[in-house]
Amino acid sequence: MPIQPREDDELIGAILGAADEATRGMKGRSLEEVLATPDARETLRRCATELGAAAREVSEMMRNWASHIPWESMTALGEGPPSASDEDGAVRALWGFLRQELPQVRVDLEEMWRPAHLRRDADPDETYALDKNAYDFYRPVGRNLMQRTEEFHGWVEARRRTETWQYSRVLEASPGSIATITNDVGRRTQGINFNSQDYLSFNAHPAIREAAARALHDYGPHSAGSPMVLGNTRISDALEAELGDLLKMEHLTLFPTGWGAGFGAMVGLVRQEDYVVIDRLAHACLQQGARAATRNVIRYEHLNIEAVRQHLQDIRSRDSRNGILVVTDGLFSVDADWPDLVTLQDICRQYDATLLVDVAHDLGAMGPGGTGVLGMQELLGKVDLVMGAFSKTFSSNGGFLASRSAAVKQYVKMFGGSHMFSNALSPVQTAVVLEATRILRSPEGEVLRGRLFKAIHALRDELTRRGLTCMGSPSPIVPLLIGNEKLARIANRRLFDRGVLAFMVEFPVTPTGSSRFRLQVQAAHEPQDALEAARIIDESITEARAYLSSAFGSGLV
Amino acid sequence: MFDAIVIGGRCAGAATAMLLARKGHRVLMVDRSTFPSDVISTHFLWPHGTSYLNRWGLLDRVLATTPSYTELTLEHDGIPLTGGIPEELLRQYFQQLHGDDSGVVRRYCSVRRRVLDKHLVDAAGESGVEVREGFAVEELLTEGSRVVGIRGRTREGTRVEERARIVIGADGRNSFVARTLKLPRFDERLKCTFAYWGYFSGFDAGRAHLLRRGRMGAAIVPTNFGQNMTLVFGPSEWSEAFRRDIPGNFQRALDFVSPEFGERVRTQGQREERLYGTLDQAAFLRPLHGPGWVLVGDAGSFKDQCTATGMTHAFRDAELAASALDGWLSGRQPLDEALKHYEARRRSQSAAAYYDYVCTLAEMKPLRHDELQLFVSLRGNQEESNRFIATHADIAPVSEFFQASNLYLINDAAKESSRGHAIFENFESTSRQYLNNLFAA
Repeated sequence: MPIQPREDDELIGAILGAADEATRGMKGRSLEEVLATPDARETLRRCATELGAAAREVSEMMRNWASHIPWESMTALGEGPPSASDEDGAVRALWGFLRQELPQVRVDLEEMWRPAHLRRDADPDETYALDKNAYDFYRPVGRNLMQRTEEFHGWVEARRRTETWQYSRVLEASPGSIATITNDVGRRTQGINFNSQDYLSFNAHPAIREAAARALHDYGPHSAGSPMVLGNTRISDALEAELGDLLKMEHLTLFPTGWGAGFGAMVGLVRQEDYVVIDRLAHACLQQGARAATRNVIRYEHLNIEAVRQHLQDIRSRDSRNGILVVTDGLFSVDADWPDLVTLQDICRQYDATLLVDVAHDLGAMGPGGTGVLGMQELLGKVDLVMGAFSKTFSSNGGFLASRSAAVKQYVKMFGGSHMFSNALSPVQTAVVLEATRILRSPEGEVLRGRLFKAIHALRDELTRRGLTCMGSPSPIVPLLIGNEKLARIANRRLFDRGVLAFMVEFPVTPTGSSRFRLQVQAAHEPQDALEAARIIDESITEARAYLSSAFGSGLV
Repeated sequence: MFDAIVIGGRCAGAATAMLLARKGHRVLMVDRSTFPSDVISTHFLWPHGTSYLNRWGLLDRVLATTPSYTELTLEHDGIPLTGGIPEELLRQYFQQLHGDDSGVVRRYCSVRRRVLDKHLVDAAGESGVEVREGFAVEELLTEGSRVVGIRGRTREGTRVEERARIVIGADGRNSFVARTLKLPRFDERLKCTFAYWGYFSGFDAGRAHLLRRGRMGAAIVPTNFGQNMTLVFGPSEWSEAFRRDIPGNFQRALDFVSPEFGERVRTQGQREERLYGTLDQAAFLRPLHGPGWVLVGDAGSFKDQCTATGMTHAFRDAELAASALDGWLSGRQPLDEALKHYEARRRSQSAAAYYDYVCTLAEMKPLRHDELQLFVSLRGNQEESNRFIATHADIAPVSEFFQASNLYLINDAAKESSRGHAIFENFESTSRQYLNNLFAA
C-alpha cells in the first residue's frame, strides 16, 4: 500500500501548532527585530515551511468543504526554494498571515473541530420537553409495569415545569365564550375560549339547565344500573325516539360515552375473520375498536373513496364469506373535512360491506335542521350504521348507535361490552341531551347555528387574511395548522399568557410533525372575539418562531 | 450582463445552472475548483436523487461507471430490514413537489464526487452555461442593498466583474454568499455526528448497508472504481477520543456496529486512500432569498449526514429554484411570488418534520426499546418496511408513517415477536453500557 498522506485532523493540528510556535517565537518583537534575531528568524522560517507543507497536504475533500478558510494563503507559505532576491520572503509572509488571518482562521477551524453543542448552554428541561413526543414513551422498557412509567412521567414533569403541557387544565367556572382556567401548575388566566366543546353554547342555556334540574328532582343523580338491567328511564326512551326521528333511523341505542358507542359498535359486530377498512384519521375509539376486534384492519388514505373501492375489490376477490365494516367519521375533528358518503355507501353495497359513520362532531351543529353531514348529503335514514357522541353539541357525556335494524340493535346491546357492562347515562344527562335535541331541531336551533357559523367565518377569514393555514371547510372546528411540535408548544404557552384558550393537538391526536391548534367555536362567540383571538394567535406564533429562532412554517402542508 | 450567476458548480449549483440554461437563459457558473474534484460528501443518491438525474437525461452516463441497486439493508442493533422504495411513493413525491412524476427510477447509488460533479459541470456546459472553473469569488457587487453581480479572480489570475439579474449561492455549508451577506442561522440543532470514512477495495458489499448500534452508526456502500465507501459515525462529543487513533478507532467502531463487516474490512479490505472525517455538521437554516440573491442546497439548509440526503436535496432545490426563476426570468411571475413558491416547498410542514427527524437521529442516542421493537414488528411486513425506508429518505412524509393508528397497527400486526433477538434479554444493561464512550482510553 502506498504511503498515505496524514489525516486532515492531524494536519490541522500541525498548522495550528506551527502557528503557535511561530507566535511564541515572535515574542512581541517587530518584524525587523525578528529578522535581526537569528534564532527567531530561523524558527519562523521553519514554521512557515511546516505550516505550508501541512496546508498543502490537507485533502482536496476538506479544502473544498471548508471553503471559508483561506487555504491559498497557507499553501503559499514556504513553497518552493527561498529566492535569492528575498530570502526572508517566507518569514514576511508568515508574519502577515499570523497578524492578519490567523485569529479568524483559528476561530473557524476550532468551530469545525469542536462539537458545537458543548460550547453553548441551553435549558436542559426545555430542550427535553420540546424535543420529545408522546410516541417516544409508547413502549416502555422493563418487567415492572408500574416502575416503567417513570420515564414518561419525567418528561411530563419537564413539560409542566416549562409550562408547555397543554393537558389537564382546570375550569374555574362554567365555560362560555370567555373562560377562566388554571393550568396544571396552578397558574390562572382568563381568555377568549376556543378550548371547550359546546358548539351551540347549550351549557349555559336556561332550558337545558332547567331540564337537568327537573331530572335531578324527579330521578336523582344516579341511574343505578346498566341500561340492559334497570338503568334507563322514560327519558331514555323519549331520547331514543327523538334522535331516531332526527336521523330517520328507528333503532337507536344509547351508550354512557361516545367512546363506548364507537368501541362497542366495532367489537359488537366485527369478528376475528372479518375486515375493517377504516379512514386513517377516524376517531381513536374506532381505531382501537377495530384493533380489538380483528387483525384484518386496513387503513385507507384519508377521504380516498377510490382507495376504499380498491380494498373492497381486493378483499372480495379472495374472501366471499366474511364481513367487511367500512368506517369513517362524518366531520373529521382534526382536519375539518368530510367524505363523499353517497359514493362510499354505494361502493359498500356493491361489495356487500357495511358502512359505519361517526357523526360526533357534525350532528346538531351543522346541516339542515342540525342533521349534520348526513343531512347535507341527503342521506338521512340511508346509511347502514351511524354513531355519535353528545359531548360536542348536546352538552353532555354519552353516545349512540343508530340503524334501521332491530336485530343489529339487540345484538350490539348484548355483545358490545360498553353498553351492557357500563352504568347507563344518568337521568340528568339523558334529560339534557333530550332537551338539546329538541332545541336544535327548533327555529331557535337555526338561529344558534347561524350565529355559530358567523363566528366560524369571522375566525377563518381573519386567520387566513393573516397568512395562517386553516384546514378543511367551515365547521365548528377550525384546525389551524402549525406543524412543528416545538413551535406549537411555545405558541400555546404564549396564548395562555395573552388570553386565548386554544387546544393544541399533537401526537397521538395528529401524526408527528403536523401539530395544530384545534379551535372550537361556539354560538356564543361574537365575530369580534374571533378577530381579537386571530390577532393574538398570529402574534403568538410569530413570537414563538422568534423565540425558537425558527424559519419553518411559512410553507405548505 | 447575465440572467443568472451561479456561485458553486456542484450538486445544487451545476444542476440549477443547467436547468436555467436549458430554458434559454444566459447563465454564468463559477467554482473555485477545477473538475474533476472531490469534496466531503456522503456520495449517496437515494432513488429520488437518481430520478432527478434521469429527468435531466444524466443518469445513464453516471450509472455507466457507478454501481446501483434497488434494495438496501437497514440494520438496528442487529435487527435487519431489507427493502426498496416503491415506485408509487416516488411518483407521489414528484407529483406533490414538482407536479410532474416523469423519469422516476427506483435505483440508488453511491457516486464519488469527482465522478458525479464532473458529469454535472459538463452537462451544464453542454446546456449552454458559461462555466469558469478555478474562479475565486472575492466580493459580491451590490447597488444599495441589492446584489447585482460578483467580483473575482479567474484561473489565470485576472480580476473580473460580472453582473446578472440574480446571483445564486450554491456554495455549500460554509457559503461565501451567506457569510458575505451576514445571513442569520435559524433552527440551529447543534448536536450532530462526527463521521469518518475511507474507500476499501477487495470485497463486494453487494448493496448499501446502513447500520446502527448503540450510539454508533456505519455505512458500507459500493461506489466507483470497485471500491466500497465505508463510513463510521457517532455523537460529536465522542470525536475527541476517536481522533486520538483514527485508523484504530475506525476499525473498532466498525467491529462494534457490525462484527460481520468489521471482519470483512479487516481481512479482505484494502484501503485505497487516507481516511477522511468531519464533525462540521450542526444543522441550520438560512434565509433562502433576498434582493438579488437566492440560496440553493446546503447553503440554505444544512443537515447532518446521518440520513445521507444532502445531495438528493440539492437536486430537489435545483429543480424547484430553476423552475421558480424561469417563471420570473420569462416574465410570467414577479420574482417575489416565484420565490415564495420555492420557499414554501423548502419550509413546509413536511420539511420541518423531516428536519426534526434527522436532527433527532443525529444526536445518536441509543435506540430505545420501543424503536427496536418497531423494527422487529416491521420484519415480515414488506409494505411498511418499504414505507419506513422511504420515510427515512424523505420520500414519504414523516407524518404518514409516524402516526398513532399506523404505528399501533404495525405493532399489532407484527408477524415476529421480540423473542429470538438477544438484545431484548438484557436490554437495560446493554443500553446503559452503550452510553459509555467507546473510544475512551
